[in-house]
Amino acid sequence: MERDLLRQALGFHGPALLSLLRTEQHDNPDFRGLLPPGGPSLEPPGGAQHQPPARKEKRIDNIEIQQFIAKKADLLFALSWKPSVSTDSESNEENEDCYAVMPPLEQFMEVPSEDRRELFFRDIERGDVVIGRISSIREFGFFMVLICLGSGVIREISHLEITALCPVRDVPSHSSHGDPLSYYQTGDIIQAAIKDIDRYHEKLTISLHSSALPPSLSSTKLGVISSEDLPLHYRRSVEVASTSETYEKVLHHSLGFANPAIVEFLLGKLGLSESSPPSLMRGLQRKNFNEEDFAFALRKKQSASWALKCVKIGVDYFKVGRHVEAMNEYNKALEIDAQNVEALVARGALYATKGTLNKAIDDFEIALKNCPTHRNARKYLCQTLVERGGQLEEEDNLLNAQNYYKKALLLDETFKEAEDALLKLRKHMQVILYFLLTLIYYNQNSY
Amino acid sequence: MEPDQAASDQTGPGSAETKIHFKVTRFIMEAGVKLGLRSIPVATACTIYHRFFAATVAPGPYDPYLVAMSALYLAGKVEEQHLRTRDIINVSHRYLHPQSEPLALDSRFWELRDSIVQCELLMLRVLGFRVSFRHPHKYLLHYLLSLRPWLNRHGWERSPVSAAAWALLRDSYHGGLCVRYPPQHVAVAVLQLALDCYGLEVPAHAQAQKPWWQVFSEDLSKAQIDQIILDLIQIYTLDAEIC
Repeated sequence: MERDLLRQALGFHGPALLSLLRTEQHDNPDFRGLLPPGGPSLEPPGGAQHQPPARKEKRIDNIEIQQFIAKKADLLFALSWKPSVSTDSESNEENEDCYAVMPPLEQFMEVPSEDRRELFFRDIERGDVVIGRISSIREFGFFMVLICLGSGVIREISHLEITALCPVRDVPSHSSHGDPLSYYQTGDIIQAAIKDIDRYHEKLTISLHSSALPPSLSSTKLGVISSEDLPLHYRRSVEVASTSETYEKVLHHSLGFANPAIVEFLLGKLGLSESSPPSLMRGLQRKNFNEEDFAFALRKKQSASWALKCVKIGVDYFKVGRHVEAMNEYNKALEIDAQNVEALVARGALYATKGTLNKAIDDFEIALKNCPTHRNARKYLCQTLVERGGQLEEEDNLLNAQNYYKKALLLDETFKEAEDALLKLRKHMQVILYFLLTLIYYNQNSY
Repeated sequence: MEPDQAASDQTGPGSAETKIHFKVTRFIMEAGVKLGLRSIPVATACTIYHRFFAATVAPGPYDPYLVAMSALYLAGKVEEQHLRTRDIINVSHRYLHPQSEPLALDSRFWELRDSIVQCELLMLRVLGFRVSFRHPHKYLLHYLLSLRPWLNRHGWERSPVSAAAWALLRDSYHGGLCVRYPPQHVAVAVLQLALDCYGLEVPAHAQAQKPWWQVFSEDLSKAQIDQIILDLIQIYTLDAEIC
């Protein structure tokens, strides 16, 4: 159970939720550790001043919601639901073709400037990328007025007149001598990283060195950028400010909204999975599903059983000598289930009977690969290998014949016929060798 | 043939019909996972199912499980994630007869397949061939993406709001929320409930000119959100009664 998360929820809802939780989850071992008899401290994490009015508003349905939370607490606060943090930083590109990139929410909410300013200084972190316009250049550095943010946090700050200082040591030099600041002019648009924050005095220090960036954003270009490089959410924000369209209109007019693959893309951005979808219904918890009940597994099992039926019919044909029909059945079986071992063995046997030994060997080998313990596959393969070896021997292809006998012995070292054939072949080869040697000897001696 | 006439279906929260529909939509959701169906096609299948029984005299002569199977098949086609009838039949048969052997390729199998195809045509005609719906999912994902930067970063990282909201939205298809309310409203309600579960507040909510939920959907009111949330919680209560 996520302790901090639970504390956050309890802080919002108050003691009523705590007692409901105790009732609903009293036999859940994970909870007993988190809810000692005295109760955890109910200090709310951060927005304490918002609590009393919020709770009064929601009085009526609060009970229902609290009961719901209490009943589902073991699922809601389970550790397995924690979102993967990495998704935040890696996919921060605003690809307008994939989804609708929207201006900051607070612009539509029309949040007053003081609140926006306060929240900005509460939430900004070291390493965030900011974009601003240079307002003045001094000998110790330059000041810039922030226009928008370039990563992570998206906020509407262009009218808040927040200034940041970039000290001269944080400006990379563009030439080996001379003042690095001479490269810049008032009015340049700069992308920089936050180096230091004084939240109380609302002072920001920025840097143009990539060392100030967190590892996930290290490829971001810092320094002068053009107005085309301004993030899409900012450009949209400027458009909306002049046209005052509603959120929904902007959403519907955005090209990315019509992307057919939009749901998959955004699920990836938010770290949700389609193959293991979350659910608050107890019956739909993915871990309770049996893999054998899934479509793929069922289809495989069914294919094997359908193929087997065809093989049985084929074998019956084979036994009465109707080889053509038998072959048809075997081929049908292999169409249904291409790796079916019984079908391969049966077809191989049919090929061997007809004399097409190479095809027989192929079928047996695949069958044996799929099921190494199949006795008939092994037996028939050995027999056919020896038979083929015999054919090769008669064609005087002695080395190849030897290979076939050897292969058969490798598969089954107790296979007597293979052993006998190999020995006979070796003797035969020895005789030939002596004959050749004698010939050479006599030829040499006759000179 | 007015699909929105809710008179014939869900006559009361605990009625026998509602229970059947709950069980069958549970079957659709479970089969969806086992068939590897994505969230949108599953949602389409459930919506087709709910609309079908809203439009006909329910349940009538129709086997709800057959309707569900056809709904899955049709939804796969509509949302471009085509399913094979063979897989649907296999999964459904196993669901209704646990631990059974897969069906043989006999006349019964072909008859089942024919039933699905014929039921599909019937459903299309009952629904007036209107089987393309606007689901809350796209809206919810964009709302989450818009809300994420505004919320306190640590609060967001600590709380699986996206997962909870997505779970709530998927589960909502056990009932007829998709038919009764517009997609944007459902998306906002689901999001509000997810935020409530984890005790997250939208910053500057009181000071803003417009509350965040009204930004997302202009014609929405707090009372409407609360009603949808109550309906959603009701579905979970029904789950506890039935299963």
